[in-house]
Amino acid sequence: MLTVSALSRPELGRRLAHGGILLRTGSFVTSVISPIPHLADGIALLYADYPLAEPGGFADFHLHFEQGAGLRRWFRPQVHFNYDGLAPFDPLPVDQVFPMFEWTMNWCVSSRAHRYLLIHAAVVEKDSVAVVLPAPPGSGKSTLCAALVCSGWRLLSDELALVRLGSGELVPLPRPVSLKNASIGVLRGFAPQAVFSREVADTVKGTIAHMKPPADSIARAAEPARPAYIVFPKYEAGAAPRLAPIAPARAFMRVAENAFNYSVLGAEGFHALAGLIEASQCFDFSYSKLDDAIAQFAALARRAP
Amino acid sequence: MWRLTPGQALACREWQGEYVLYNDLSGDTHLLAEDAVLLLLAVQRMPQDAAALAANLNADYPEANLSADEVAVLLAQLQSLSLVEHEAC
Repeated sequence: MLTVSALSRPELGRRLAHGGILLRTGSFVTSVISPIPHLADGIALLYADYPLAEPGGFADFHLHFEQGAGLRRWFRPQVHFNYDGLAPFDPLPVDQVFPMFEWTMNWCVSSRAHRYLLIHAAVVEKDSVAVVLPAPPGSGKSTLCAALVCSGWRLLSDELALVRLGSGELVPLPRPVSLKNASIGVLRGFAPQAVFSREVADTVKGTIAHMKPPADSIARAAEPARPAYIVFPKYEAGAAPRLAPIAPARAFMRVAENAFNYSVLGAEGFHALAGLIEASQCFDFSYSKLDDAIAQFAALARRAP
Repeated sequence: MWRLTPGQALACREWQGEYVLYNDLSGDTHLLAEDAVLLLLAVQRMPQDAAALAANLNADYPEANLSADEVAVLLAQLQSLSLVEHEAC
């Protein structure tokens, strides 16, 4: 199957600008059209290992990023996002086109893919032990997720846990890991071999960079995992690593708060979440050092039922 | 006479003595103690007044040990969630 890396950078730019590419991420295909070089650069760097679907084939989502017209072409140029002919978001500075691309990819799935229970959570797996990491922004979820995937864990997702309705399987959606502000330097120090995008400053979330997922995680994107743990991570400066059990019913309510489409799914969402809780041991986890966290997760993987 | 609000199926799960219950009418999910769920199930089995519900509940589950007043308070709380409703006899 053709991957993005099979295209030279000029050819990728040409295809993106003229007709677009069909990018396969997990079980989704996204049509991406854009003449903006920053976006082509980001896709060339971070999506090199991702498959491309045949031109003219089916796409779940149709995204179009273009630069503003008129004076905006030269003065503080902006990028406009167009989804299936609609413009759901305000334009952003053109420098932010790659973070915008990542956010819109998340938005497409979280607002449309209702054949899954969608939870705002990272998911990692090792030795058939999958851990769901639900957390609100600022909890250190993505930092911990990035450190885990740089330490031998498979990335299923940094942002969206997809629980298949009926089977309860966790369906992979491995995409670049989003890092913010101080986390970028922390991960560069923790995993100097990892590939990072250019840092983009002054976004609504501060400075953003994305980390390329391991090639193995992308290659195994069709391989679902069974949940074993739900861990709510919390970075606390100076804290010793601490794993505290959560009563399942309490964990249910907290995961529901972190779900995008729990209400949309109705009773089906209730049963899907109940299945996830029944399959998982649930913990709060506070930590300050990534090495401590990695050791704790290795212990979790060893003792999984 | 208290009865289950029409449309409620009482889908619920129990872990370690705590219950989560799906509210079919509001789409909310409630975290409930065992007493509340036992009361809902009793109302589902047979609409009754608070005193009869308390008597039946205590007969079936002596550990519940709920007075009619306590049952009335619980019923009012469940009514506020649209799980049960009161109808005049």
